[in-house]
Amino acid sequence: MDFKSSTALYLIAACVILFVLAQSVFFLVKAWKRGKELGIDSKKLKNSITSSALFTIPSALSVLATVIALAPALGLVVPWVRLSVIGNITYETVAATEAINAFGITTGISEAITDPEVFAGVAWVMTLGICFSLVILPFVAKPLHKKFLNAGKKKEEPETAVVADEQTEAAPETKKKKRSFAGFMDYVTPALFIGLIGAFISNSILGAGKKDVALDGAGVLSVVTLVTAVVSSIILELISKKCKLTWLEPFIMPIGMILGMVAAIICYNVLPPEIAMLEWRG
Amino acid sequence: MAKNTTKQAKTYYDKVHTWGRISTVTALCVLLMFPMAICLYLGVFPPFEKVFQGLLKVIPLYWSVAVVEVIFYTPMLGAGGAYLSFVTGNIVNLKLPCAISAMESAKVKSNTEEGEVISTIAIATSSIVTTIILAIGVLAFAPFLETFTSSALLMPAFKEVIPALFGALGAGYFVKHWKISFAPIIFMLIILVFVPTIGASTLIFPGIVASVLCAFIMYKVGFLDKKEK
Repeated sequence: MDFKSSTALYLIAACVILFVLAQSVFFLVKAWKRGKELGIDSKKLKNSITSSALFTIPSALSVLATVIALAPALGLVVPWVRLSVIGNITYETVAATEAINAFGITTGISEAITDPEVFAGVAWVMTLGICFSLVILPFVAKPLHKKFLNAGKKKEEPETAVVADEQTEAAPETKKKKRSFAGFMDYVTPALFIGLIGAFISNSILGAGKKDVALDGAGVLSVVTLVTAVVSSIILELISKKCKLTWLEPFIMPIGMILGMVAAIICYNVLPPEIAMLEWRG
Repeated sequence: MAKNTTKQAKTYYDKVHTWGRISTVTALCVLLMFPMAICLYLGVFPPFEKVFQGLLKVIPLYWSVAVVEVIFYTPMLGAGGAYLSFVTGNIVNLKLPCAISAMESAKVKSNTEEGEVISTIAIATSSIVTTIILAIGVLAFAPFLETFTSSALLMPAFKEVIPALFGALGAGYFVKHWKISFAPIIFMLIILVFVPTIGASTLIFPGIVASVLCAFIMYKVGFLDKKEK
């Protein structure tokens, strides 16, 4: 049996997963009790549970798709645990690729890891790289939350006065405020992720792989896969917006990814090998 | 009566923070025990310098993102919701929209105690459902994994998992933030024209710097004022 899928590893993972479940159930029960004390209607509380569960199912399936995408290299256990605790789709793939690269393996997550030492190293990098929010949260959550609650209370009182003041003030003042550094913070996270995602996308278009390894550099197959994934996701996004199919939104990412992979299979099996295997940068 | 409610409210928030702090520290320990358990079980300890080398590529980005996320999302998620979300992850694509949607349908505000309760219930439910779906999916998929990965027919799909994953993931960002997407990708393609062997992992850093810088310039000149949000 492959060491990555041994029963012992599944048992270790099960302990971690049980902890996550226990924590969620604990907070759910406490919040439910508090809701009843506050006089919130049971129907409202039940509706919150039902709508949240339904809302979650499609996104959870896309998280599962990432677990399966990482499975050929890492087996199922490590991606399962990593995406159940703190993990997210963008981070885990990048962290796994970086960790594998650090051990001198250039194929990233497309080849199975056969060395237990590399496997353990990848688990450490993925874990240590993502855990920082848990280190700072206990220190900053309470003061941040208090500030937010106080700001909410203050905002409710002088609202009318502020509106009157704003009307008398010149419009350019508002424009200046809009372009303050604080306003730019709205773009920081998207810009960070575009930089990160863009690196992998650009590499699929023009990156060179190892000369002796087939299909690890940019070529016909990588571009066909990329274009299919991007275009199909954008088309699905437009359809969901135009036809107001909100239920479709969470499915867009996994469907786009699967369609990209299907395009790779079709191209590889239908096109002549000299075209399908063509890699322009080696 | 009003005083009583305020006192009770404070007590509830304080309790949430106490439970949250304990559970977060416990989660951190459980999380770190996982790779340790793998090392002990397999009887291997990876060389520190290799792990450090991998971390050097991951930490600068993800630790700064962690700080930004904690500062920005904690107020939006509420106390209980924040402690739960940061342990279970997938905040932007799952927990936050779930909490906002639940608070909207319950017609409560996020800075009220009712909002705190609804947000916590929504995020706890979402975490439970995600965990259960992942567990069922993994256990159901496990027997077929080898068949899937060793199949010659499916081989190209697994070889091209990176362009498929990042293409589908990027599409959402490109649609929402198309104005700030073009320049950094063109910049990275130009780098690759001259250094094709640079690899995505190294390309991330100039890519992120270019992306943030371009977004900042566009923001300052007012290019992002109207539609981009």
